[in-house]
Amino acid sequence: MKILIIEDEREIAQSIKDYFKTNGIQCETAENYNLAVTKIDSYDYDCILLDLMLPDGDGFEILKELKSKNKTEGVIIISAKENLETRLEGFNLGADDYLTKPFHLAELLVRMQALIRRKNFKGSNSIIFNEIVVDIFSKTVTVNDTKLDLTKKELDLLLFLIGNENKVLSKSAIAEHLSGDMADMLDNHDFIYAHIKNLKKKLTQAGSGDYIKTVYGLGYKWENE
Amino acid sequence: MNNKKLLHKTTNSFLIYAVIILLTAAPVFYYICQWLYIYETDEVLLFHKGDFVNQSHQNYTANDIAAWNKYNQNVRIVADMGVKKDSIVGEMLFEPVANEKEPFRILYAPVEINGKKYTYIEKRNLVEMEGMVFSVAAMFLFIIMILLIGIIWISKRLAEKIWKPFYNTLGQIQDFEIDKNNPPHFIPTDIDEFDRLNKSLERLIEKNTAIYKSQREFVENAAHELQTPLALFQTKIDTLQQLDLTREQSELVASLNKDVSRLNRLNKNLLLLSKIDNEIYPEQETIILNEYIEKHLDFFTEQAQAKNLTISTNLDNTLSIKGNKALAEVLLNNLFLNAIRHNVKNGVIEIVTENNILKFINTGPEIPLTEQTIFNRFSKVNPSSQGNGLGLAIIKKICDISHWDIHYSFNDNLHIFEVTF
Repeated sequence: MKILIIEDEREIAQSIKDYFKTNGIQCETAENYNLAVTKIDSYDYDCILLDLMLPDGDGFEILKELKSKNKTEGVIIISAKENLETRLEGFNLGADDYLTKPFHLAELLVRMQALIRRKNFKGSNSIIFNEIVVDIFSKTVTVNDTKLDLTKKELDLLLFLIGNENKVLSKSAIAEHLSGDMADMLDNHDFIYAHIKNLKKKLTQAGSGDYIKTVYGLGYKWENE
Repeated sequence: MNNKKLLHKTTNSFLIYAVIILLTAAPVFYYICQWLYIYETDEVLLFHKGDFVNQSHQNYTANDIAAWNKYNQNVRIVADMGVKKDSIVGEMLFEPVANEKEPFRILYAPVEINGKKYTYIEKRNLVEMEGMVFSVAAMFLFIIMILLIGIIWISKRLAEKIWKPFYNTLGQIQDFEIDKNNPPHFIPTDIDEFDRLNKSLERLIEKNTAIYKSQREFVENAAHELQTPLALFQTKIDTLQQLDLTREQSELVASLNKDVSRLNRLNKNLLLLSKIDNEIYPEQETIILNEYIEKHLDFFTEQAQAKNLTISTNLDNTLSIKGNKALAEVLLNNLFLNAIRHNVKNGVIEIVTENNILKFINTGPEIPLTEQTIFNRFSKVNPSSQGNGLGLAIIKKICDISHWDIHYSFNDNLHIFEVTF
């Protein structure tokens, strides 16, 4: 999988690149508008991460460029701008998702995976991890063909964990992912403990391996045994 | 203090002056007129006497004198009364015509007729003087009164005209609000002082508005500029925690994680506050608050579990309000969060909707907060709390902007926040 990161802040681009590398995602970067347009013209990407404020141009122009060239890459806007108008304009110009800075890399990763899944949708749409099968479309989880009864939050949590396989996820990243729009309001992340505990119990009871590892005070990690 | 109006004050001074002048002038004027008349009467008496002496009365006989006295009402020649020199006295004498006593001036003068000493007595009635003095005084006072009324009226009208630009300026400044975008427009005036006043005010307002604006922009820009370093911070911590860390290092990273999310929250709230400050929220829609509370009750109940709080609701009254939906949601979220954050372990939160009133009642520290300061930015009762001291400031701002009323009270060890819509 190949993605393009259009971001003038080199270090952010680098962090994304490093984080995604272990998930088999190949990242190219472009730190300005011209370079970005050249790269878009020459290659096809699975996904584009787009910062709106570029030193030599507006990120919206890139969206227009993509549209005019009939490019079908999924675009996730990553921007420090946080207001409804920018968001709406982004979506109108063809962006698929919008993530406000600062964000957790884990969040960006699962959003990108979800976007690519949507783009590549071909009849079946399921995530398979050993004996666990998650059907995105029907929102069902089976372990060795036994259906699990998960709450919406638990399903969300499971997808987040599997998507970030082998990554240490901080409590705040998980909490913010589970809270969606309300994430900004959180000042205590301890509530995720109950969700983790329940999910873990349901999975192991259904005969799945115990993939959720606790990392000291930091958080959790989905790891193949 | 009982403040007087400027125009009344000047008019009042005029009025007081006029009344004093009228009150003192009336008797003084009366007495002067009376004195003048008596003086004139006395002159006439002495003149008559002189005339009498100079004329051919010198050779009057006793019979002539008797005849004189017979036909003269006012002048009588009588035997010497021992009067040495001319003397005039005022006396009340009976006047048969009017059938009452009337004031007279009487001259007693020694005269010599045919070498014999007599006393010349002449009297003059003063009744006509009384009437005359009165009518002259009345006329004079009438003129003074007209004059004074005229002066007061003209000065009042003139003052109104002169002070008009001042009142215009005053009205405009009263309506002026620094956070609204409508600077006052003073009407031009040809009075130098008012012109200077207007210009100084214009300068003052312009300068302060600019300062206020740049202050607001500063907060917004600062918060915006912080987003990028915060993003860097966040992604680096995310990267850092993937390394093979010892337990000690893990705990450090975990605490860094906490700090960065606290910074994030603070920054988001600052952005939100300046957004509320800078943006205009014209969209007014009908919002059913009960629906929103019920929708997010689960989220907040989950948040409240860490403190084992009991949340009870009494939403029988449907609160249907007019306002901006986004702002109303932020208001409710902050009220909810406030009730959770400042609560104690095993505490309670009660949400009540009444007719036009929303109440958040919660347990907490058993001391009342000071209502004057709690809504200020960064006013924190407990400095170590996770809150950033902006929650209540946001609540207040939203209430102000939407013309709602927020009120805090402490009753039965319960903290009550009450929003009246």
